[in-house]
Amino acid sequence: MGRKIKRYGAIVRLEHWMVALSGIMLIFTGLGCLPLFKRYYITELPGFKWTANFYTVTKLHYIFAIFFVFAVLFHIFYHGLRRDFSLLPKKGDFIASLKMILASFGLGKEPPADKWLPEQRWAYVGIGFTTLIVLLTGIIKVLKNLEWIYFGPKVESTINLLHTISGGLFILLFFIHIFFVLAVKSNWPLLKAMLTGYVDEEYVKHRHPLWYERLRKRLQ
Amino acid sequence: MNLSRRQFFKVLSGIAALALSPKDGLSYKGKFATLIDITRCDGCNDEPIPRCVKACREENKHRFPEPKKPIMPYWPRKTYEDWSDKRDKIDTLTPYNWLFIQKVEIEGKTLYIPRRCMHCDTPPCVKGCPFGALSKQPEGNTVIDHSICFGGAKCRDICPWHIPQRQAGVGIYLKLMPKFAGGGVMYKCDLCDARIKRGEEPACVIACRERLKDRTVYKFGHREEIYAEARRRAEKEGLYIYGDTQNGGTSTLYLSAISFEKIEAKLKELKARFQMPVKVRNLYKEEINPLGVAVLSAGAMGILTGVVGALAGKKQDDKEVL
Repeated sequence: MGRKIKRYGAIVRLEHWMVALSGIMLIFTGLGCLPLFKRYYITELPGFKWTANFYTVTKLHYIFAIFFVFAVLFHIFYHGLRRDFSLLPKKGDFIASLKMILASFGLGKEPPADKWLPEQRWAYVGIGFTTLIVLLTGIIKVLKNLEWIYFGPKVESTINLLHTISGGLFILLFFIHIFFVLAVKSNWPLLKAMLTGYVDEEYVKHRHPLWYERLRKRLQ
Repeated sequence: MNLSRRQFFKVLSGIAALALSPKDGLSYKGKFATLIDITRCDGCNDEPIPRCVKACREENKHRFPEPKKPIMPYWPRKTYEDWSDKRDKIDTLTPYNWLFIQKVEIEGKTLYIPRRCMHCDTPPCVKGCPFGALSKQPEGNTVIDHSICFGGAKCRDICPWHIPQRQAGVGIYLKLMPKFAGGGVMYKCDLCDARIKRGEEPACVIACRERLKDRTVYKFGHREEIYAEARRRAEKEGLYIYGDTQNGGTSTLYLSAISFEKIEAKLKELKARFQMPVKVRNLYKEEINPLGVAVLSAGAMGILTGVVGALAGKKQDDKEVL
């Protein structure tokens, strides 16, 4: 009783919070790059006057992108080379995810999970793919502004628009992620684990029986 | 992952080469430029409407906005920008008037300054438009695609001269969430994009020449020739140039016998709607792009540390239980 199981290592937690915090700031400054803050009186809030200046907001967007781009590319190369592929969807995850989501709302029982929940794997692919598009289009925009590459008016316009649209999708997925972490009580131990690295043995036994089984076998 | 030391260094040097290689050969200044000689402009003061302004309106009238009324205010604000009842206004820039003659009295002299988009070399409007509605054409002109412009007017905010003009009640925003986002469509001079792509001159240039013959105000031509002519004349006749350094360089050069510092001061004093600042820094070039280099370097660093970390660290899952 009371044993703790390590779920997220220091590197994974660092990656997650670097992407999360820079991502939140990128969302805010990214929205600030749209002509909306003045219209919606955000620029008139105490302490938010600077948001009225598009150049300031763009500079901040670039500064937070430094951390975001670093963390995402580190993530891809580090885990790619280590072949840490257990967060990629497996056969049967789609149905299991639906069951999992229904169970979050009290409908039916959660199917037995391994270390990663099936819907976590789908969420990872969804948010990962969106992140890749927003990141790649962002980098292309940077290269274009530096005039290191030249695509011609049509392609440049398309990339601008694609960055805005994929950014919007990123915001949507970000809120869905936050919703499932905060509103679904069974996910709370995972939030704690993303801070401390550890989950309780009891939690693993009940929610991740397949992972628990593997751990137990290895210890024996 | 089996990567030999040699392969590993190949990857590293590839990334470094990508990050460090010079790329200035691809920068794009555009093919054409316009010379506007304000020592020759008399604002067509014996005619009801200056020739260039008239030609511009005639050339572009099929693209003028036809807003649906009543126009919705920009919620939660109660305002909206509507020029549709002021179509005849020719003394300022509006969505229906993309070129105007700015009249200024300095030292007992009357100056007539044709004002329109400068067509910058590094246009902030193009770089800043979130919808990609603005583009810099190979000819050097900056063009707004009216079909995808949301009318947020960011381009007007970040333009050092605040040139683009907004008309509410038209455009793509009406088809999405007209109450909450978008404000119409932005309009400005596109240097007669269709004409110059056909190899013709902009309408204003032709109209001016018809009146003033070889003393024409406007000269449109290849960028290098226009720049060379402006510099030659400035030196020979003691004239001042505007537009060659402002905002990192533009495709519009003004020549004046009165210094642009004086013109700037006068326009400031008059609180004119369209100013002519002499010192215009290009903030994309000077402040944002260095951060762009930092973003790219961070990407390279992320890849490097990821590769090094993966190669150096052993795979460890066996410490999962305390």
